[in-house]
Formats: sequence, C-alpha cells, structure tokens
Amino acid sequence: MSALRNRTIEPVPAFAEALERLRGEAAGSSGRALEQRNAAFERFQALGVPTSRVENWKYTNAASFANRPFALAPRGTVDSSLIIPHFAGGHKARRLILVNGRTIPQFSHLGGLPAGMTVRPLAQVLAETPELVDRTSVNDEPEHSFEALNRALVEDGAWISLEDGVALDEPLQVISILTEAESAFMTHPRHVIRLGKDAKLRLILTTVALGQADSLMNQVETVEIADGADLTIDRTLEQGQGRSAITRSRFVLGSRSRLQQTTASIGGSLIRHEMEARLRGTHSEAILNGLMMPRGTEHVDTLIRMHHEMPDCQSDQFYKTVADDRGRAVFAGKIFVHKDAQRTNSYQKNDSLLLSDDAEIDAKPELEIYADDVKCSHGATCGDLDPASLFYLRSRGLDEALARSMLTFAFTGEVLERIADESVEHIVRRMILSRLPGGERLAELG
Amino acid sequence: MLEINNLHATIEGADKQILQGLSLTVRPGEVHAIMGPNGSGKSTLAYVLSGRDGYEVTEGSATLDGEDLLELEPEERAAAGLFLAMQYPVEIPGVSNMYFLRQAMNSIRKARGEDEISAGAFMKLVKERAGLLGVGQELLKRDVNRGFSGGEKKRNEILQLAMLEPKIAILDETDSGLDIDALRTVADGVNRMRSPERGFLIITHYQRLLDYIVPDHVHVLAKGRIQKSGDRSLALDLEEQGYGGVLGAEFAEVVA
Repeated sequence: MSALRNRTIEPVPAFAEALERLRGEAAGSSGRALEQRNAAFERFQALGVPTSRVENWKYTNAASFANRPFALAPRGTVDSSLIIPHFAGGHKARRLILVNGRTIPQFSHLGGLPAGMTVRPLAQVLAETPELVDRTSVNDEPEHSFEALNRALVEDGAWISLEDGVALDEPLQVISILTEAESAFMTHPRHVIRLGKDAKLRLILTTVALGQADSLMNQVETVEIADGADLTIDRTLEQGQGRSAITRSRFVLGSRSRLQQTTASIGGSLIRHEMEARLRGTHSEAILNGLMMPRGTEHVDTLIRMHHEMPDCQSDQFYKTVADDRGRAVFAGKIFVHKDAQRTNSYQKNDSLLLSDDAEIDAKPELEIYADDVKCSHGATCGDLDPASLFYLRSRGLDEALARSMLTFAFTGEVLERIADESVEHIVRRMILSRLPGGERLAELG
Repeated sequence: MLEINNLHATIEGADKQILQGLSLTVRPGEVHAIMGPNGSGKSTLAYVLSGRDGYEVTEGSATLDGEDLLELEPEERAAAGLFLAMQYPVEIPGVSNMYFLRQAMNSIRKARGEDEISAGAFMKLVKERAGLLGVGQELLKRDVNRGFSGGEKKRNEILQLAMLEPKIAILDETDSGLDIDALRTVADGVNRMRSPERGFLIITHYQRLLDYIVPDHVHVLAKGRIQKSGDRSLALDLEEQGYGGVLGAEFAEVVA
C-alpha cells in the first residue's frame, strides 16, 4: 500500500461533493446511469490522483494543479460579443457553443445539416439514452484517473454523429468558453464523435478562457472513425493564468480511414493533452501535429500513444515547441507496433526552441515494436535560434528583438501550414504573434 | 568611402589570426574584386565588415564615410549603408519575401529617421526592381528563400540589394553554385546597380564572374592580407597561372 500511496494521492473531498450535487440533477444521474457514475467515481478514488512517480506523469505535477477544492462550474452564459471573435471556418460553418462545459443552444448554429448527421448536446443523450455514450469498442475499463473522474462528473458536451457515407461540406466548430469567476471551478465535458463508413468531417475545436479565473477543465473525447472515413481536426487552446486543462482524446480508426489533427496549445497554467490512437483496420493513416508555446510559468504537456494494431498503416507525429521565460513543455510520444502490424510506417518528430535559460523542455520519444517489417523513426531536437539566421535578418536592418521574433514565428510555420482551415490558421498566427516580444510590429503576418 | 586599415581579426576562441593587416580603400563608383585561395580570409573579411558574431578584431579599423563600422551592430551597419549578399542565404518559412523586403526597408528608414515607405510606393518599387532583375511575381509571394533554387536565392540577394540601395555592397561568393545562365542574370542585376555613388566589393574564388562584372581593381588576398593589387588583367593572370604562379610557390593552393 505504501508504494501505491507514493504513486498517487487521495482526491480532495470536493470531487465527492460535486458528485453529490449532481445526483438527480444532472442529465443521466439516476437509475443505471447513476450506478455507472458511482462506479466510475469509485474507480477514480481507487486510482487516486497521480503524482510524478507515475511514469506518464513524471514531468507534470497533476496533483498540485488538479487536486484542489474546485466547485462545479457556475451556470449562465456570456455576452455573444465575446464569443463571435472566436468564430472560425467561414460564414457557412455550423457551430456548437459550450460555456463552462455546458451547451448553449441559443448561440449555436446547427441548421441545414445533411440527413444522417446529428449534432446534439451530450446532456440530451445522457438523459435519454445514456447507454449510447459508452461503447465497449472504444471504452475499455478506464485505468486513467481523470477519465474515470470525467465519467463520474460529466454534465454535457458535444455529440457528433455521421452515418455511413455522410459528409458535411463546411466545417463544424465546437467553441468551449470558460468564463471569469471569483471562485475556483471545474468542468468535465465529454465529446462523442462518430463517423460512419466513408463519412467525412472537418472539425474545429476551439477552447478559450475569458478573463481571470482559477479553473480546471477535464475533458474526454472518444472518436470513432469507421472504414473509409476521414476526419480533420483543427484544435486551439487559448487559456490564461490559473487555468488548467486536462484533455484525453481516444481515437479508433477503421480500414482506409484517415485522421489529421493539428493542435495549437497557447497559454494556460497547465495544459495536458493525452492522445491515444488505435489503428484497427488496414491502410489507415493518423497524423497528429501540434504546437506548444509555454511562457511565464506555464506548463504544456503532450502525451501520445500511437497503436498500430493492423498491417499497412501510416502515422505521423509532428510537434514543435517554443518555451520562453520559465515555461516548460513536455512531449512524450510512443509508437506501439503490434505483432500483426506488418509494413507499418510510423514517424515522430519533436523540434524545440528554448528562448530562455530558465525554460525547460522534456522530450521522451519511445518505440515498442513487435512486428519485423516496419519503418519507424523518431527525432527530437532542442536549441536556440540559429545564429546564422539571426545574423542574416540583422544584416538586412532588422533589430535583434524583431529578428528573434520573426525567426521564432518562422519556426512555428511548419505547424501553421498543417492547419486545415485557413481561418483557424489566421487565428493561430495572431495568437503566436501576440505572444512574441514586439509581435505587434509583425502584425501583418497574422 | 569604405576605408579598411591594417585590419587584424581572429575567430573567437581560436588563436589563429585570419586577417593579418588588411588595408583597402573603395571609393564611390568603384568595383573592387577580392580573389584568393580557400582559407585566405575572404569570407572572414565579409563577416567582420558586416558584424557577424564569432569574430574578434584585434587591430586596425574599418570605416564607412568616416563612421567606425566595427562599433556598430549588424543592423546599424545596414542603416549606415552596408549590404552583404551572402553565400548561403537563409530560409524563413512563414514570412513572405515581399513582406520581408518591406520590413527591411522600413527598419533601415526608421533607423535613419526617415518615414516608412507607403504600401503603394513599395509595391511599385518592388515590381519595378524585380522586373529589372528577372525576379517573378511568384518568387516575391513565396516565403523568403524557401525552396528557392541556388540561382533564385542569389537573384533574391541582388533584389534585396536593389531595394535597400546601399552605399557599399559586398558580394560574398555570389557566383558559387550558379550555372552560366544564372551567373549572367545575377551579374546583369549587379551591373544595373552600379552607380557613381555606390561601391562594390566582390569576393570570388574564380575570375568567371568578373567576365560579367568588370572590376576597376582586383586584389589578391592570401594569408590574411592583400598580397597584390592590379587592374582586371590580374584576374586573368590568376586564371592562367594560379595563385602560386602569380604570388610565388608558397601561395600555391593546397589541393587535397
């Protein structure tokens, strides 16, 4: 027991109090659904909150950020003028808006979806057919504290489902707003995303914290991409001081399917994103790109588990990190090639830029290969700006600060150009520039 | 205009003197060529004059119109009117060539206390200059030097030169890696930029470039100082007789 106690610590009572408050109130909190919540909560209690002694949490102190007396998120909404600036995907995009983890139907725009496509608040599904939310094909017994906690405390989220052969031509944007608040709050949204055979969707996931608050967003996403389906995700996380976000995304891909996700994590006291992708059919492809930019005392952590379970699949992990001040970034990417997954092509690359002596980057690439005919590679680089490039810019008259900012911006370029949606790319460009010293002088690059 | 006097320089952290008392004067309107074997200090001279980190001047001076260059940061040297066309131009993904040119122009103007160029005036100027140098619109829109061929990179350097209109332009091995057509295009560009107010210092390993950019003076740099100066015919002698033949056996280039 002592070893277990060292590895995890006991959750604060606030979580049990939250479950008590939800009982009978939240969607899917009675009958069998309540039993499942209780079971998940017991699982969470038994697993405890991981400390840095748990290998997957070695560089990220979850306990200090997440194990604090948060209350359930305040209800209510925000003025639409604060949401509109975060619209992306063009004027034809459909939108689902969540405030503090709860859907706000009056701000959402979901008209004219093709037949066979459903976008609903998860709360409705939890209330009417909670058995649809968890499917054993995706959801094995969660051995993950925060996922168990999410299952116990989930109130709402996005339910997105496309039947076989259905394609939405325009992007669907899910905007998650976190409000300002006087007291610390938490939210546990859950997104369920299912693409039937040959379905096609471009998804934009936008998370924005408005103003000041101490908050924890513990989000779980289960994503099923059936044979021949194609899912593109552009994801941005823009949070501030005192904000913590733990997101766990689980992807399952069928044969000849494709997933391409590009993530920009910019701002937040703690941003942790775990991704698990399981390539369960042949000839499928999973691409996970990302940009992390911690500064101040921010901490950004990406953990990827890429499982090649079947032959002839491809995967690519491409992450870039810019760490300034005392910012810290963690990238732990692991490729598993299961024994049947012959002719796997799997790549991983993590390039990091350290702009200050006090910044820290921990890169942990791993390979675990049980098949013999595979191509796998991983590479990690870490350094300062290239002196030859800096000199080139200065020799053209740019002062050192501007030259450094321009090169830092250029370093992020390879991630920017992997963003599928042009309007999201512009938003991310502006987010990056707003964080560079003298970035306003480069505003036209936005 | 450009006065280099008894310049001594080392690579930081290394004992070896690269420049050992180099003196040279370039007057407005003149084109000087500096030739020399590998390791003679040609590129070091270019970098020391333009202020790249990693070199230490131990003795001597370099001034541009009386202003001490060696005291200035690289960007201040650019504002003072010095330009270096580099042997290996750097790629800047995510920053368009056009945007970079305007930033460079406006940075220099600002440092000189001048107004920024308007977007309209800039567009007009860049189109005109790019047209003269055979730089297509497409190249202007692309990211700086990214995916450019060797010839495109060098042409882009000359376009920057044409836009920034320096008093003194240093060309460091601008001919390296160019085929004969690209060499001719680049040389035409340089020739268009020759003017009675502007000086050129052309650093090259081979005399081929000097068939197209005809210099007023040719200097042979070896062992860190100018060993011999002459007119254009000196370059031809070098081509025929080699460094050893012109300077004496101890200067013969070591062939690995």
